[in-house]
Amino acid sequence: MGVGIEVKDLNAWYGANHTLHDITLNIPANQCTALIGPSGCGKSTFVRCLNRMHETTPGAKVTGSVRIGDVDVYNGSSPVEIRRRIGMVFQRPNPFPTMSIYDNVSAGLRLNGFRNRKALDEIVERSLKQAALWDEVKNDLKKKSGASLSGGQQQRLCIARALAVDPEVMLMDEPASALDPVSTSKIEDLIFELKSQYTIVIVTHNMQQAARVAERTGFFLNGRLVEFDSTHKIFTNPSDKRTEDYITGRFG
Amino acid sequence: MGVSAIDVRAAINQPSIFRLVQRKIFNSAGWGLCGLTFLLLGSAMVWILKMVFVRGAGALNLKVLTHIQIGVAGGLLNAIEGTLVLGVGGLILSVPPGIAAGIYLSEYDGGWLAPVLRFMSDVLVGVPSIVVGYFGYVTMVATLGWGFSVAAGSIALAMISLPYITRTSEVAFRQVPRTLREAGFGLGCKPGTVIMRICLPMATPAILTGVLLALAISVGETAPLIYTAGWSSFLWTGHLTKEPMGYLTYAIWAMITEPQRSAHQLAYAAAFLVTLFVLVISVIARVVTFRRSGWGQHA
Ligand SMILES: Nc1ncnc2c1ncn2[C@@H]1O[C@H](COP(=O)(O)OP(=O)(O)OP(=O)(O)O)[C@@H](O)[C@H]1O
Ligand SMILES: [Mg+2]
Repeated sequence: MGVGIEVKDLNAWYGANHTLHDITLNIPANQCTALIGPSGCGKSTFVRCLNRMHETTPGAKVTGSVRIGDVDVYNGSSPVEIRRRIGMVFQRPNPFPTMSIYDNVSAGLRLNGFRNRKALDEIVERSLKQAALWDEVKNDLKKKSGASLSGGQQQRLCIARALAVDPEVMLMDEPASALDPVSTSKIEDLIFELKSQYTIVIVTHNMQQAARVAERTGFFLNGRLVEFDSTHKIFTNPSDKRTEDYITGRFG
Repeated sequence: MGVSAIDVRAAINQPSIFRLVQRKIFNSAGWGLCGLTFLLLGSAMVWILKMVFVRGAGALNLKVLTHIQIGVAGGLLNAIEGTLVLGVGGLILSVPPGIAAGIYLSEYDGGWLAPVLRFMSDVLVGVPSIVVGYFGYVTMVATLGWGFSVAAGSIALAMISLPYITRTSEVAFRQVPRTLREAGFGLGCKPGTVIMRICLPMATPAILTGVLLALAISVGETAPLIYTAGWSSFLWTGHLTKEPMGYLTYAIWAMITEPQRSAHQLAYAAAFLVTLFVLVISVIARVVTFRRSGWGQHA
């Protein structure tokens, strides 16, 4: 079951570069929340703060608090523990090139000590089907390397890899930016299906996509959260002038 | 008026005379230097290989490979065995700490220890191998009382290999893209798991190249072994200390200075074997480097 995310006064830096300023918002459980905003405004950085990925960048710093369900992310829990509960799909596909397709999908389980062959087979098949990749790869699961797939297939492989560990929250950083329209709509279908069980946060540059999949939408600008509201409200009647300018294409 | 695309294209298609001449001069100078270097290196290599292979192959026969040395005659079996034992011994002692140090330098960079380690490793590369040999003699052979031995010889070779393996491991780990580490962390892997199960498989081909080159260097060394492994014309009985050991490079050096023809034959046979061994290792290292599984496919 998904859990909600409460973010309070979140600030983030890359070295001296203050990237996120005082972000406060509540992401509801079992819904999809979209984050939009111009390039470089801090969407990826924000998402990476939620599962403590930001701090793996040398020189990066975070302050403020994030709660995921009943877990205080930045206080009293280990990053490893947090990341096991949160799946992440990155902006650029990053399959493990030395592993087969099968090993890529099952990596999160195998590398953390799960060894039941039969269960792994089932999970790999289910995850690949959910990510709409099964039919394309089912015949060379163990023959082909993860890196031998096309860019769009690699991204779906990464989605399957994240699903396989059965997270409570799914963070997707522009998961469809490298995909063709057919795979994109498959991913969107997947998000629809997953919403009942997971909390999904999706970063996207495609506003139709945000409108299609997300209940709530947040608009970022220059490292600040300008507006956060129901998707319908954001796209039909935003309260902030800058949001309106952005969604009507006047800038960004 | 600004510069248009047409102007740019014209400049590219019809360069000035000055540019053309300049280009010609640099072009011929470049090719000339390439050719000269190739000639120098090529002729030196051909000359050495010809001498070693022609005279060595003539001197090589089954007896050389299957008998131990008797005075200035007999075979090289003891020396072949010694070279292999010492080479493998050196690797066993240098590969684990070398890879560990490489991982430390690449993954835990930041503290004061990493630059110190890197500096010491660079110094170690510059230490003449005879100094390593003499150091081994003073410490292990004399002070610890091990005598000329496999242990002392292997440790001396390990000291020579260690900085190479450390450096290649560090570079190999640094080449693994950040995005793959992030993928591992994102799946909830511990840092150790990410290093050993995700980075290490990607770094292995490059590390292997370094290990093979270190082995090639060890096999070709004489100076550090003279003071530590000593010399013996008998086969090894398995003792780690107090038992001197023969090896091919010593056989070359010792036999070529003897007046007898049989001694010269042995020296050339030994030179042939060492060269062949190093050549084969280098070729394997090249092949491994070219066949890096999965490399180049990940953006
Ligand atoms: N590794 C890094 N080191 C230093 N600065 C960084 C790094 N990554 C991002 N930044 C800076 O942080 C700011 C926010 O970047 P971020 O990647 O979060 O933007 P984004 O909203 O995801 O943009 P895009 O839509 O292009 O992906 C940018 O100004 C960028 O220059
Ligand atoms: Mg981004």
